Amino acid sequence: MAIAMTDNQTAVTDRPQVHVLVDRCAGCQECVIRCPAGALDMDPGRWVAIADDERCVGCRQCVRTCPFSAILVTGPALAGTRVTTEVVHPEPLLSDVREVRQGLRGWDEALAEAQRCLTCPDPTCVRGCPAHNDIPGFIAAIAERDLDKAHAILRRTSVLPDICSRVCNQSAQCEGACTWSLAGDTPVAIGQLERFVTQERPVPPPQRGRDADLSVAIVGAGPGGIGAAWALVEAGAAVTVYERDPVPAGLLGWGIPDFTLPQTVVSRPWGQLEEAGVTLHCGAEVDAEALEQLLADNDAVVVATGASVPVRLPIPGADLDGVTDATTFLKTAQAAFESDDGVPAWLTAMGLHPADEAGKAAHVLVLGAGNTAMDVARTARRLGLSATCVDWLDERFSLARPDELAEAREEGVVVRFARTVSGIEGEGGRVRSARLTLTRQEQADRPPKVLDGQPPETVDVDLVVMAMGYRPDPELAAQLPGTPVRRQAHGVPDRQWTASGVLANPASAFAFHNPVGTLALGREVGLQAAAFPVRDRLWVVGDALVGPSTVVEAMSQGRRAAAALLAARPRRPGKRELERSRRALVCYASEGGHTANAARSVADELADKGLSVRMLPIDRVGPAELAAADVLVLGSWVKGFVVANVGPPPEVRAWLDRLPRLGGMPVALFCTYAVNPRSTLAQMAKSFEQRGARVVASSALRHGGNKVAAVAFARRTLAGVRETEGATAGAVGVS
Amino acid sequence: MAVYVEDRESDAPADPVSTAVHLQPTRRTGLAERFSPTDPEPGLELTRNPHVARFIRNRKFQFLLIVPNQVIFWTVIFVGIAGTAIPGLNFGAAITWYVWFCLVFVMMVVVGRAWCAMCPFGGFAEWIQRRTFWRRTQKTLGLGRKFPEPLARLGFLIPVVSFIVLTWIEEFFNIAGPGNPADTSWMVVGIVSSALIFFLVFERRTFCRYVCPLSTLIGTVGSMGSVAGFRTKDREVCLACQTKDCMRGSEKGYGCPWYTWPGSADSNLSCGLCSECYKSCPEGNVGLFLQRPLTSVVAPRRRRADVAWGIAALWGLVLFQQFNATNAYTSLDNWLNRYMAIPHYPNPVDYLGIIALGALLLAGVAWLVSRGLGRRDVPETYRDSFVDRTSRFRAFFVPMAYGLIPVVGADYFARQLPKFFKHSARVVPAVAHIAGFMSTSSTIYGFHILSNGWIVVVQVAVIIAGTAAAAWATWRIAGRELVPVSRNALGVRLTTLSVVLACGAAASVLYVLMHAAS
Repeated sequence: MAIAMTDNQTAVTDRPQVHVLVDRCAGCQECVIRCPAGALDMDPGRWVAIADDERCVGCRQCVRTCPFSAILVTGPALAGTRVTTEVVHPEPLLSDVREVRQGLRGWDEALAEAQRCLTCPDPTCVRGCPAHNDIPGFIAAIAERDLDKAHAILRRTSVLPDICSRVCNQSAQCEGACTWSLAGDTPVAIGQLERFVTQERPVPPPQRGRDADLSVAIVGAGPGGIGAAWALVEAGAAVTVYERDPVPAGLLGWGIPDFTLPQTVVSRPWGQLEEAGVTLHCGAEVDAEALEQLLADNDAVVVATGASVPVRLPIPGADLDGVTDATTFLKTAQAAFESDDGVPAWLTAMGLHPADEAGKAAHVLVLGAGNTAMDVARTARRLGLSATCVDWLDERFSLARPDELAEAREEGVVVRFARTVSGIEGEGGRVRSARLTLTRQEQADRPPKVLDGQPPETVDVDLVVMAMGYRPDPELAAQLPGTPVRRQAHGVPDRQWTASGVLANPASAFAFHNPVGTLALGREVGLQAAAFPVRDRLWVVGDALVGPSTVVEAMSQGRRAAAALLAARPRRPGKRELERSRRALVCYASEGGHTANAARSVADELADKGLSVRMLPIDRVGPAELAAADVLVLGSWVKGFVVANVGPPPEVRAWLDRLPRLGGMPVALFCTYAVNPRSTLAQMAKSFEQRGARVVASSALRHGGNKVAAVAFARRTLAGVRETEGATAGAVGVS
Repeated sequence: MAVYVEDRESDAPADPVSTAVHLQPTRRTGLAERFSPTDPEPGLELTRNPHVARFIRNRKFQFLLIVPNQVIFWTVIFVGIAGTAIPGLNFGAAITWYVWFCLVFVMMVVVGRAWCAMCPFGGFAEWIQRRTFWRRTQKTLGLGRKFPEPLARLGFLIPVVSFIVLTWIEEFFNIAGPGNPADTSWMVVGIVSSALIFFLVFERRTFCRYVCPLSTLIGTVGSMGSVAGFRTKDREVCLACQTKDCMRGSEKGYGCPWYTWPGSADSNLSCGLCSECYKSCPEGNVGLFLQRPLTSVVAPRRRRADVAWGIAALWGLVLFQQFNATNAYTSLDNWLNRYMAIPHYPNPVDYLGIIALGALLLAGVAWLVSRGLGRRDVPETYRDSFVDRTSRFRAFFVPMAYGLIPVVGADYFARQLPKFFKHSARVVPAVAHIAGFMSTSSTIYGFHILSNGWIVVVQVAVIIAGTAAAAWATWRIAGRELVPVSRNALGVRLTTLSVVLACGAAASVLYVLMHAAS
C-alpha cells in the first residue's frame, strides 16, 4: 500500500483526493479515528495525518471532524448507486388506498444497499435518528443475512421498526445525517433496509417480565404510549392504557392514510402488547379529574395524549362552510373508504360534487405542504377531487418528505410553495375562493416574509382544509406543568455531537437544505425531557410533551420515560416502599476547592447513611446524570464582592438555566462563602422551584472548618427527603 | 457504600449513541521518540500552584493582561496625533520606541509569546470578534472564514514578509527614529485596523498566526524562552479524548485561537499563552509549564522550512539595520536613489537586496556544507510540502537556521538598546507633558542611562551571549540531526559551529562600525 502525501491542490480526477494542510494539522487524530475507509494514518516523524488516496471514498468525514480545518478532500464521493424501490400509483386512484411505496425486492437489493453503508466509526446517522437506532449495526446484520440479530439490534432502541420505516422522514433524520448525504451524495436507504428486516421477519413480540410490583397507567395509545407500555410490560410492570378513540394507535390509525401506512401494520403493536398482558381501555377519555384519580390509584402515570387539536389559520373567512381541518377530513375520509358507497356519501356530506362529465372535479385547497398536508391532498385525489397545497416555506427548505412530495405531484396534487393564504371568500356562507399572497424565504432557519406589497392571486376552491399540523389539547396541557418543551438546544452543542461532524454540514441537500444536525440536537432536548416527571410520579411523552413531533420521537420518549420510571420506582401514597437504596447525586461548582471539599463531606455522610452516592462537578452533570438520581445536592461557591453582585457564579447560573423540569425531585442546596452569601441560596432555590423540584434543605457554609456543618447539612437533607416523601426512615436508608 | 467521586459510571441505561460508536484506535507509533525530548518536566508546571491555576482559569485572565496595554496604546494613538510634535516629549513616540520594543524583546527571550497574550492590537480585534471582553460567547462577529489554503501552506513566511514591509515603511517615514509622533499613531492605527479586518473576515487568530508582522519574530526568538506554554500533562489522556475541547472549544473556553493542540505541542512557537485550552479541557489535563532555556530551539524533532527561511530573512533584515548606519551603505543608497528617482532612504532595491543577500548567504553556506559534508543518500520526501520537504540541502539548512535563533534574537535585542539606554528616561517627561508639566529642558529629558561607548560594549556583550547560546544550541542540534546525514561527524559540528561564530562576529563588528560611523 502506497501512502501518498498529497499536500497541494490537484486536478479533479475520478477518485477523491485528500489534502492535509500540514502547517495546521496538529496530529490530534480526530480524522484518523473516524475515517470509515481507514484511509488516514499518522506520520510518526512529523506527527501529522497522512492519507492514502487509494482507500479514500470521498465521504468527507475527516473534513467535518477536523477541529482546525486542516483537511480538504477533492473529487467525487464514491457512494455508489442507491437501490431504487417501486412506487406504485393505483390507476385509477379513486377509492384505492393500497400502499404506494414498495419495499426492497428481495435479498439481492437489500445486500446491494447494505454494501453502500460505510459502517462509520462515529455514525452520524445514529445521531440523526431520533431513536438512535444502531443503524450500522443492523445494516451489518443484514449484510450477514442475520435478521434475528438485526431485530435484536433494532429492539434496543425501537419497537416500531415496521411503522417508522414507512412514516419517518428519513431525509431529515437518519438518511439526512448519513455521511454520504453530508458529503452531498445520495445516502444509504436506511428506511428501506429497516423495512426489509420487518418484511422478511415479523417484529418479535414483547416478553413480559417478572412481576415488578409496579402499576402504571398510560393515557393515550399512540406511539408514545406504545413505546412506554412496551418497555414497562417487558420490565414486569402492570400497565393499563386509556385511549380516547375506539381503536388504539392514535394518530397512526386515523392520521396517516392506508396508502402510506396500512392498517395491518398499524394494528401489529397493540395486538402484541395486549397479548403480553397490557390492559387496554378504548373510548376512555381522561380529563384533569380522572388524571388525579389515576395518580392516586397507580404508582405512576405516563401521559401520551399526543397533539390532536388541529391548527387553524386565523384568517378572514376561516369560519365559512367548506373550511375544515385535517383531523376531520382524514377521519371522515377513512370511514368513507371503509364502506362500499362511502365516497359519494362523503362528497355529499361535505357539500362537494364528483367530477363532472368534462372531468372537472371539485377543488380542495390544502393549507400547508408538510406531511399532513400531503396526506390530505393525496386522500383528496383518492376521493376524486383535485387538490392544491400551498405552503409559505420556500421549496428548498420544505419540511415534507422529498419522496412524498414527488409522489403527491405524481398523483396530480399541485404543490405551490412560497405562498400563503391571506383570506378566504365565500358566497352564501360557503367557501368559493381563496387569496394567495407571495412569500420569500432566504434561509432554512428563518421564517418567510409575507410580501404584502405584491397583488394577491385568487383561486377558486370548493373546500379548504387546514393541514398545518396539530397541537396538544390546551385543557390537558394546563395540567402538565412545563409543557410544551421547546425542542431547541442552547449553549455550546454537546461535545460528542460536535466531534462527530454531524453539525459541521448543516445544510444537506438531500434534506431540503434543512440543518439535520441542529434538528437532531433539538430532538435530543425532547428526548431528555421525557426522562423527568413534570410532577411527582407523572411523566409526559410525545406530542403532549414537546408539541407536534413525529412517531419515532414519541416512541423514543415513551421508552425513555419508561426507563426513568423503572429506575426511580415511584410508589403511590400508602403503598409500602421498596427496600432499596436511594440514588443521590452530589454536584458542585468549586473555584478554590472549598466547595468541592464540602461536597465530599456531604457525599461521605449520605453514603454512610446508606444512599448510593455519585459526586460530579456540575460541568459533567447533564440530563442523563440528573435522570439517574432520586435526590440532588448542589453546592456552589459564592461570587461577588462582599455586597455587590453577590450570588451564584455564571457557570452555575447557566447550568440552572438549562435545567430540565424536575417534577417533585428533592433538592438540597449549599454554598460556601468567605464573607456573606447574601441571597445565593435563594436564587438557586428559585430556579429549582420554578422547575417543579422540592428544596428540602439549604445551608450556607463558611470557608474552612466546615466539615461539621456539611455533615449537619447532609443529615438535614436526609430528614427533608424523608419528611417530604412521607416515607419511613428505612426507605431512605437512614439507620 | 462507596462514594463515586468524579465518576462517569452510573446505573442509567446505556446511551444508545455511545453503543453505536466504534472509533478506530489512535496511532501511537513513534510517540515517545517524537515528544519525549520536548515534554516539560511535571515539576515545572506553574499551574500546580492553586493561586496561579485559579488566576489562569478565570476568564478575565487575558483581559487583565490586555487592558493595561490597551490603555497605553490608545493613549499612544491620541497623544501621538494630538500631542506635541517633539518626539522625545510625545508619550506616543517615546513609550513606543524607547521602551516598548525593547521590553517586548526581553519578554520574548524570557517567556516566549507573552506579548501575544497581552497584545492590544489582536486583543482589541478579538474583543470585537467575540463580542465580549472575557466571556465565552456562542456567536461571533464576522465571516469566520478559513485562511486561504495556498497562503496557509506558507506557514510563518507571510508574517516575515509583512515584517519586512512594515520595517521599510517605518524606515522610509522615519517613524521609529522617532520622527513625527503622529506617524507612530497612524502606524498603530494601521496595525489595529488590519488586525480588525482580519479578525472580522477570518476565524480565530488567523491574523496573529498567519499575518502579524511580529508573529515569526516573536515565535522564533521566543522559542529561546523558558515558558513552554500550555502543554498536556498526560498525552495518553489527550489521545483518548474524543472531543478535543481544547481545539473546538467548550462552555468554559474557546478552541485554540492559534491552531495549536496541547497534546502535540513540541515547542512554544505557536502557543499564544491565551489559556483557552487550559480553561476548556474537561479533564484538567492541560498545564502551564516552564522549560529550560533554548529547549524549544534545540529539542523539537520536527523542523519546519518556513521557520528556517523566516529566521534567514530576519537575519538579513537585522543585518540591513546594522549596515544602514555605515557610510558605505549611505553612499550606495544615495547612488541608487538618484538613478531610481526614489526621494530618500531606504531604497527598496538595496533594502530587499541586502535582506536577500543576508538570507541567501546563510542558505549558501548551508548548501556548501551539505555538498561538502553531507551524505549523498539523504532521502527526498514530501515533495509537495513546502513546510516539510526534505532534501540534502534542507537537511543542513533547516537545523542550522534553528541553531542561529539566539544570534538573530540577540542582534535584534542589541539593536534596540541604544534608544533604551539613551532615551528611555524621556518617558517620564513625556507622561508629565500630557498634563502640561515638564519640557525638553527638564533634567530627566536629557538623562542617559549609558553613554554611547558603554552602549556598544553592552551590545557586543549581548551578541556574545547570543552567540554562545547559539553555539551551544548548534552543537547539540548538529550532534543529533546533522551528524546522521554527514560523512564527517566532527567536521560538520565544527563547521556549523564556525558559521555561528562567524555570524556573531559579523554582528559584533557591525555594531562597532555603526558606533564609529555615528
